[in-house]
Amino acid sequence: MRRISYRSGLVRGRRAGSAFGALAGTALGILLGLVTIATVAAVAVGNSDAPTPDVVDGAHVPPLLTLPSEPITLRYAIVCPPPGGDLESGAPCDGSGDVYVRPGQAGRFTKLALRRGDDAREGRYFVDVPASIASSPTGFSYYAILRNNATGTSITLPAAGAAAPQLSLPLARPVSLDLPEHVFGAGRRATERVVAAPWGRRVGEAGLSGGRQVGFAGPSTFDVTADGTIVLLDQVNGRLQRWAPGARAASPVRIDVSEAIAELSVGPDGAAYVLQPAPRAGGAPELWSFGPLGNLLGRTTLSDRTWGAMRMGPEGPEVQQLPSEQWMPVRAQGRLLDPLAQTRGGRAGRTVSGGREVVVLRTGAYELRLALVGAGRILSGWRIVGATPLGEVQLAEPLGTRMVVVFKTYTEDQDEFVVLVLDGTGIVKSFSLPSAQWAEAAPLSRFRLHGTSLLQLGSTAQGMFIDRFELEERE
Amino acid sequence: MRTRSLGAPAPAVAFVASFLLALSLTAAKMARAAFQDTCNYARPQLTYTMTRDGGQTYTNVARYEGYQWGGGCWNNDDVDSSPNDPPQTFSRGEGADCSGLVFKTWKESEHPAAGGRYHWDKSRNVHGPYTAQAFRDGDGEPNYRVIKSYVYVMDGFASSGHVGLVFFRATSGADQIVEAKGEAYGTNMWTRSYRSDSSYDGIGRYGWTS
Repeated sequence: MRRISYRSGLVRGRRAGSAFGALAGTALGILLGLVTIATVAAVAVGNSDAPTPDVVDGAHVPPLLTLPSEPITLRYAIVCPPPGGDLESGAPCDGSGDVYVRPGQAGRFTKLALRRGDDAREGRYFVDVPASIASSPTGFSYYAILRNNATGTSITLPAAGAAAPQLSLPLARPVSLDLPEHVFGAGRRATERVVAAPWGRRVGEAGLSGGRQVGFAGPSTFDVTADGTIVLLDQVNGRLQRWAPGARAASPVRIDVSEAIAELSVGPDGAAYVLQPAPRAGGAPELWSFGPLGNLLGRTTLSDRTWGAMRMGPEGPEVQQLPSEQWMPVRAQGRLLDPLAQTRGGRAGRTVSGGREVVVLRTGAYELRLALVGAGRILSGWRIVGATPLGEVQLAEPLGTRMVVVFKTYTEDQDEFVVLVLDGTGIVKSFSLPSAQWAEAAPLSRFRLHGTSLLQLGSTAQGMFIDRFELEERE
Repeated sequence: MRTRSLGAPAPAVAFVASFLLALSLTAAKMARAAFQDTCNYARPQLTYTMTRDGGQTYTNVARYEGYQWGGGCWNNDDVDSSPNDPPQTFSRGEGADCSGLVFKTWKESEHPAAGGRYHWDKSRNVHGPYTAQAFRDGDGEPNYRVIKSYVYVMDGFASSGHVGLVFFRATSGADQIVEAKGEAYGTNMWTRSYRSDSSYDGIGRYGWTS
């Protein structure tokens, strides 16, 4: 056979020059070994470098709720390689963009070119919305296409563009509330402590990561099921822990999550949805769903690069995604949604019962605008202005005909949470709570509302706790 | 069937043996190598330009490149070349730590008395003289404390143990923060509520250009 003949010939050739061949083989072997390992080493150690990325990133804070006759300027950051491609030069990219805007939520969009300013503190690119559109009684909807002029690459905000544009609604007759200067240290005592777990790894304890030098992180967040079971995301210990109502002992379920801070929602079927931090090797964050025994049910990738919060909506979990700055469904009709489907469901507010939405806009240093929206119009609206700076909004949720809102207020060296129960006339109830955040947790998920109970995740140097505050309680 | 002579080693055997020997020797050498062997120590270049959106671009390069306690160099392949380093240990891996990222993004000098702008290539291995606490204290000629409600894009928030930069604000009142967060996180962008957290202070840097 030809193959055997070839091998035989090769053997003959080796015999003829075996001494020289051995030396040559040795030298070649060493040489090839070094070359191969050097190549592997370069890749393994990281001497490789991708070409200048042709990416565009953007950011925008949409004016979700506007006041009558308020001038509206839309500002955008466009982030991309500067001309010449030197990513480290400190120069801005050669960007441009167009905003497509229309009154209300139907009809043709008008194209407005973004102008380039000198100030990038809140976005270098801007456009003033014409008063004829900004003052529409049905609000206005819009999206933007942001470009890197050097390459033509673009990004659309929000991600689905015309298919799910950003919506801005007029807060025509809000209930206006002026909060006096906040008095720190007068926080309300909890009705009861429903969970208390010292730091540790055993069942009933909660994991703590980090250290004194870099700060500590405890359980990311928790959720509460319809029957009142508390479900804690104890990601440092790679598990969920459940406390049934009245039960003293925790019931752990091991799940495959990283120890980094994540986000949790629990569905009515007991499935736990965990929003993992962005992967370390690029790409968008992922949502993983787990069964009651900790088995992985499914996973999907988020549309956007960053998540803000996740809450359970009537159809499934919804995630506030950025830079789109929209709440997007991640599960519908019994299945997890791919990124494209998520973007097409993007909305300004998060969905609550009855097909309504809660829209929140923290604007400036002292102001919070809040609205309950139904069928594309505002059903109830509040404008809250503090004399002390306001921080992030942790919770905004209807409670019957009322609205419960929890936000942070702060000075340079103090911070507390403020709880307001609102109705159509003003404040029904208000109190403050110590921030109790010795260990870091998910940024917007320290509170949950269960019936008339407000639940707060807190921590001290000794451990974590969940306190319950009865909102209907007489003071 | 012919059988092979057992005399002098055949070239193929020598080739394979030598290859494996070279492989093992180099692998042993590699075991002691680290990502920072690929970094450089070039002198920084004084530069005029330092825009806030240029800073955003700079931090975007560092995203996904990992975290290294005490570190300060990375590439741009979106892979942490030294994952799972021991926490709070300098192991010469890829990525910056929190204060190293701020130092390089803010184009600072290694000499705190110098207030100019210095172009640091991503692969330049430098951490800078500041800890998170030093940034928090406004140490160094170009640095200062900022009232928290007036912290804007590429200003930052610093605590005694951590510092991050504002990429943009958010409708929730929280911020999109770009930061070298830790070994379990790497370097990336997250929603954070540092602004309202009393353990953090606002920090800024003089000298942004338009």
